[in-house]
Amino acid sequence: MSPRNLLSILFVVAVPLAGIIWSIDASRLPPADLTFNNSTEIKTVDPALVNGQPEGRIVNALFEGLVRLSPQERLPVTGGPKEWPGVAESWEVSEDGRTYTFYLRKDAKWSNGDPVTAEDYRYSMRRFLSPLTAAEYAKQGWYLVNGKKFTSAGAYLVPGDRVEVELNLEPGEHQTKTGELVKGTLMRKVPETMPKDQKERDKIQQRFYVDVDGQERCYVVTDPALGETIPDGALACRMVMLDFDKVGIRVVDPHTLITELANPTPFWLQLLGFYPLFPVHRGCLEKYGAPDWTRPENIVTNGPYRIGFRRPRDRVRLVKNENYWNRDNVRLETVDALAVEKTTTSLNMYILGDVDWIQEPPPNLLRELMESNPPRDDFNPAPQFGTYYYKLNVDRGALGDNRVRRALSLALDREDIIRTAVRGPQQPAFSLVPPGVPGYVQGTCAPRNPQLARQLIAEAGYPNGNGFPSIEILYNTHEAHRAVAELVRKQWQQTLGITVKLRNEAWPAYQDRLRMTRYDVGRQAWIGDYIDPNTFLDLYVSDNENNQTNWSNEEYDRLIADAERETDAQARLDILHNAEVLLMAEGPIIPIYFYYSRNMVRPHVRGFYNNALDFHPLHSMWIDRSGATVNEFMRSAKK
Amino acid sequence: MQDFDSKPEVARVGKSLWSDAWDKLRRNRLAMICMVVLAVVALGAFFTPLLPLQPSDNTVTSRDFEPPQLRNKPSDYLKVREGEEFRPLTLEDIDQATAAARVIRKELANVPADDTERARRLTASIKDAIQKPFRDAGFTDMGPLSRWMTRLRIRLFGDYSLPSFAGRDSLGRDVLARVFWGARVSIIVSIVATMVSLVIGVSYGAISGYSGGSVDAVMMRIVDVLYSVPFIFVVIFLLTILGEEQLKKQLAEYGIDRITIFYVVVGAIYWLTMARVVRGQVLSLKKELYVEAARSQGAGQARIIARHIVPNVMSVVIVYLTLTIPRVMLFEAFLSFLGLGVESPDVSWGMLASEGLEVINPIRTYWWLVVFPSIAIGLTLFALNFFGDSLRDALDPKLRDA
Amino acid sequence: MIAYFVKRFVWLLLTVWVVFTLTWILANFSPGTPFTSERSFPPEIEANLRRRYNLDKPAYVRYMYDLDNLLRFDLGVSTKQVDFTVNELVALCWPVSASLGLLALAWAAIVGLVAGVVSAARRGSLADFSLMSLATLGIALPNFVIAGFCILLFGFLIPLLPPAGWGGPRYMLLPAFCLGAPYAAYIARIARTGMLDVLSQDYVRTARAKGLSRRAVILKHALPTAVIPVVSFLGPAVAGIITGSLVIEKVFAIPGIGYSFVQSAIDNDTPMAMGIVVLYTILLFTMNTLVDAAYTWLDPRVSWDDV
Repeated sequence: MSPRNLLSILFVVAVPLAGIIWSIDASRLPPADLTFNNSTEIKTVDPALVNGQPEGRIVNALFEGLVRLSPQERLPVTGGPKEWPGVAESWEVSEDGRTYTFYLRKDAKWSNGDPVTAEDYRYSMRRFLSPLTAAEYAKQGWYLVNGKKFTSAGAYLVPGDRVEVELNLEPGEHQTKTGELVKGTLMRKVPETMPKDQKERDKIQQRFYVDVDGQERCYVVTDPALGETIPDGALACRMVMLDFDKVGIRVVDPHTLITELANPTPFWLQLLGFYPLFPVHRGCLEKYGAPDWTRPENIVTNGPYRIGFRRPRDRVRLVKNENYWNRDNVRLETVDALAVEKTTTSLNMYILGDVDWIQEPPPNLLRELMESNPPRDDFNPAPQFGTYYYKLNVDRGALGDNRVRRALSLALDREDIIRTAVRGPQQPAFSLVPPGVPGYVQGTCAPRNPQLARQLIAEAGYPNGNGFPSIEILYNTHEAHRAVAELVRKQWQQTLGITVKLRNEAWPAYQDRLRMTRYDVGRQAWIGDYIDPNTFLDLYVSDNENNQTNWSNEEYDRLIADAERETDAQARLDILHNAEVLLMAEGPIIPIYFYYSRNMVRPHVRGFYNNALDFHPLHSMWIDRSGATVNEFMRSAKK
Repeated sequence: MQDFDSKPEVARVGKSLWSDAWDKLRRNRLAMICMVVLAVVALGAFFTPLLPLQPSDNTVTSRDFEPPQLRNKPSDYLKVREGEEFRPLTLEDIDQATAAARVIRKELANVPADDTERARRLTASIKDAIQKPFRDAGFTDMGPLSRWMTRLRIRLFGDYSLPSFAGRDSLGRDVLARVFWGARVSIIVSIVATMVSLVIGVSYGAISGYSGGSVDAVMMRIVDVLYSVPFIFVVIFLLTILGEEQLKKQLAEYGIDRITIFYVVVGAIYWLTMARVVRGQVLSLKKELYVEAARSQGAGQARIIARHIVPNVMSVVIVYLTLTIPRVMLFEAFLSFLGLGVESPDVSWGMLASEGLEVINPIRTYWWLVVFPSIAIGLTLFALNFFGDSLRDALDPKLRDA
Repeated sequence: MIAYFVKRFVWLLLTVWVVFTLTWILANFSPGTPFTSERSFPPEIEANLRRRYNLDKPAYVRYMYDLDNLLRFDLGVSTKQVDFTVNELVALCWPVSASLGLLALAWAAIVGLVAGVVSAARRGSLADFSLMSLATLGIALPNFVIAGFCILLFGFLIPLLPPAGWGGPRYMLLPAFCLGAPYAAYIARIARTGMLDVLSQDYVRTARAKGLSRRAVILKHALPTAVIPVVSFLGPAVAGIITGSLVIEKVFAIPGIGYSFVQSAIDNDTPMAMGIVVLYTILLFTMNTLVDAAYTWLDPRVSWDDV
């Protein structure tokens, strides 16, 4: 090989390199009006499948529900001159608080020009609740009459119910299509109930005998197209479920929609403004199928924005939707949502001005930021409706003893944890429900008391922690969770003399352990979806899948059920208070701190308000670089 | 270029090869410095419990992110809590704990054989009782040798501990102590993992090379295929699977924890190159005259391997060893970065370095959290790499491509 | 030569199959289901999900399904990013990693080679010592520590380059530097030893004795041979640098595939994991093959029958 050969090697390397650099340079986008860090790659933009705040921020910009929530207080907007209403122009609530009639605005349009109609909402609700969609948030629709029964497919159906049988799709049709529906009356199920055990259940094919126009047919959920066999004498179908007409959502005319609730639900309007219940465009879904319908070139939205560009793990670019009915009030033409996960990286980009808004500066720096001198003009933490807590698996040896659970709670020095491990303005928590619900008094547990804690643990048979079986704190891998867990471990070990270990798991394994209740003490955080104690207290009724503590209390279940039926607002809150007092006395959970939002927002970003749900809709924001006034975000800051 | 000319003849086996290498090594000043550094690091790590360091898991939350200090503060000393007060840790505490453990052990002896639940509980209590004074003072759980060294330390230094020369971390733990205790974990992990890879690699390579023919071909094809397996992936999967609670409990009964799994898994990855190199060496040795001669004199297979092949392969192995240990250490750091490393309160260099990364930012850098662990890692790996290179040059310049 | 490549291709298929099977077994026995998330499902919904992901079928049936799909290059939809098929994710992320990796490799190869040759040519000098110390340091520190220092240094203290993000060539420089640093160090060391080895050979000394200048001897006669060990190192390095850039991608927020590679294993995103593993295997195998092939080109003593 000669130097000439070496040159040719260089050439071989350099040419593709130059090409790639050029192509990246060419694909560079002009900067957006507003760039913010959405903290992680979003799972999807499908409202029915979203499950987290990062997805919520995007969906909230793309779609619009019947009701919009105000950016200031995140409460339903009724449609004042300065406010920002949703697709429903107005609504009426019946006397008993269970029937809502919505009147939709006539100028609401999808981004392809189609009008937004009441049928769109009914279709989207059916899709959202359908067992085939398997929406994680389906619970939000269960406040409707028969909502849960519909979602649960065959599980709660009884003979005599009106049912609809969704037939299998033609080969080649998109899975997003609804199969042909056959309606009838359920005669019987064979077997009556499905076994609890997963392996057993997989072996059984349940048969549904349905009376269709006086003719008995037997349906089995199976799909021959997937190579499955149809049992003798049965017909194949995709799903058997309650007739959707029995679910409490009805179209009166294209611009009138009625929802009927099982119980008066004071937060129903808040839920309608919450992204899982936002509508999708049926034509778009059925034409392109999943996941192609979410492509920038295919997606049809009815909100202030549509997707202009999307690169996984990089950004979602939102572009103003020119067919949006309220387009004149949308001031940001383009918005970039980045997916930077490391908080330090995110902060670096913010400091250099690449990003205008980040949600979470590195925890190590919180105090530095709060105490900075002169005070920062872009950092203003505010109380958030969320609680960080540990839950105890009461089936695990010593943790079944109420005295032990109370001792664990009494031994914690929450102030110290917040000061050292959390380092922010967060407040110590002694109840599950965070402060901020008007009219609600929290039920609390006792504050730190080491002597009493030691006394209790001795009474339980473990003086000085002798003989106490070692317990393990389970948390998902994250710097901040580890810091808290390490301090809690230290405090329990020092105060009670017991042996505590730590165990971190990646998110899926961590979730799996919680669900199978294969843990001793588990980290958990819950952020309210709407401002009401119910969003927290409902978690610990016996049959809630998120209970996961094996703790079950009839009295507690009864109180929560009573509260659901109660029509008087204050009486309802009082019942919930009693329930929380009971929960805290029983101690299956140990609250640690209440959340604070930790946004950093540049002074030129306007229309950004602190609120308890840390909800910041993009359509209400604008950019003002004049610097003439303090932006809305900093106005509430302490001087 | 002088020393590159004198290639040692492969036939010069045994002592002469080694003494020759040692002579060369001694002439290389940098290699000697590296050797001294490595010796210091190894001794420091081994005798950590003997040194008057603060306990590595002693959180003093009032002193979080404290910069390096040259003077002692009261909370530096070894202390245990009594009621609401703190007092120095003494030898009596440890003796009492041992006595308490002895009482439980007697009790355990009287437990009927079929009461396994009670027996299990008592066994756990014994461990708790022994560790109690150490845990109270802020040490992590220690084995018998470390406990003995700690006793000696208390006898020598009392409750005195060095001031926080390297500052304190986010929970107020002494960084200097963490670097020392982390060295123990990191060094043991990398040595054991390398040993595992050595055992697998040498035996596989030797068998393959010695057998020759179709066995050799098949075995080497397997290595080729395995070369294309993305092993990071396998490690992550295995660490998750073996961390499964049920499995973990079963493993724990045999004394296998996450670190042990780590040894085995990582060791099982790095053997591939080893196997190739050893096979090559064995192949060329097999053809050498003296092996032929030994065979013609009727020496058995085992004898040939033990007397002639192994000593010659040793040089390759040792060189490979010094170059694999740094790689395993970096891999451990990488896993710590992903949160898959050792579990707190244990500490490793990788964990310290990834904690250090968290504090590198333009607003406020707690530099001591990143500088001291980096110095420890950098110095050790630097010395290992340089020493490995020099050793390779000294032992056999032909191996440079390996 | 053609026979060689045909043979290697058959081996490639076999390797992919072995790796696929191995990963499949691991992925299907790791804890957690692919649809694990914060809000757990009622059993009825979970039953549906299990059916959708074919989890209700016996393992061998699922294995055959997955193998069949692999043969048709249909790797399914990522369970963590449901808006993309695995093919799309790979197609979108791969060029990012590839270009970053190539740039890193280019600088690693050029700088490493030059440093190696210089330090071999001036053996024992201060330049040799400092270059080699720098190179060893590049190997001795974890990648993320180097990245952290670089960001602080070049992003803030000397604000030349953007510290994170992906927007244009400027954004590539810092991550490419950090990604290539350890490889540059390795190459420098390999090139140096290779060069020293060659310089002591007879033919080089003959050339020198014939009166050729030192520079000419090094460039014309020694370099080509000294480059061979570097090439054999480049094979695995290319694959590693292109897919193994996880740490750099995370620290610099770069939308490449290295991050997905590890994250999919941690997240239990089986379709994604399988897809990337197969891609990685093909890449690694191809690189190793190309390196072997390069020997015949670089070293006249090696023929196609040998490789």
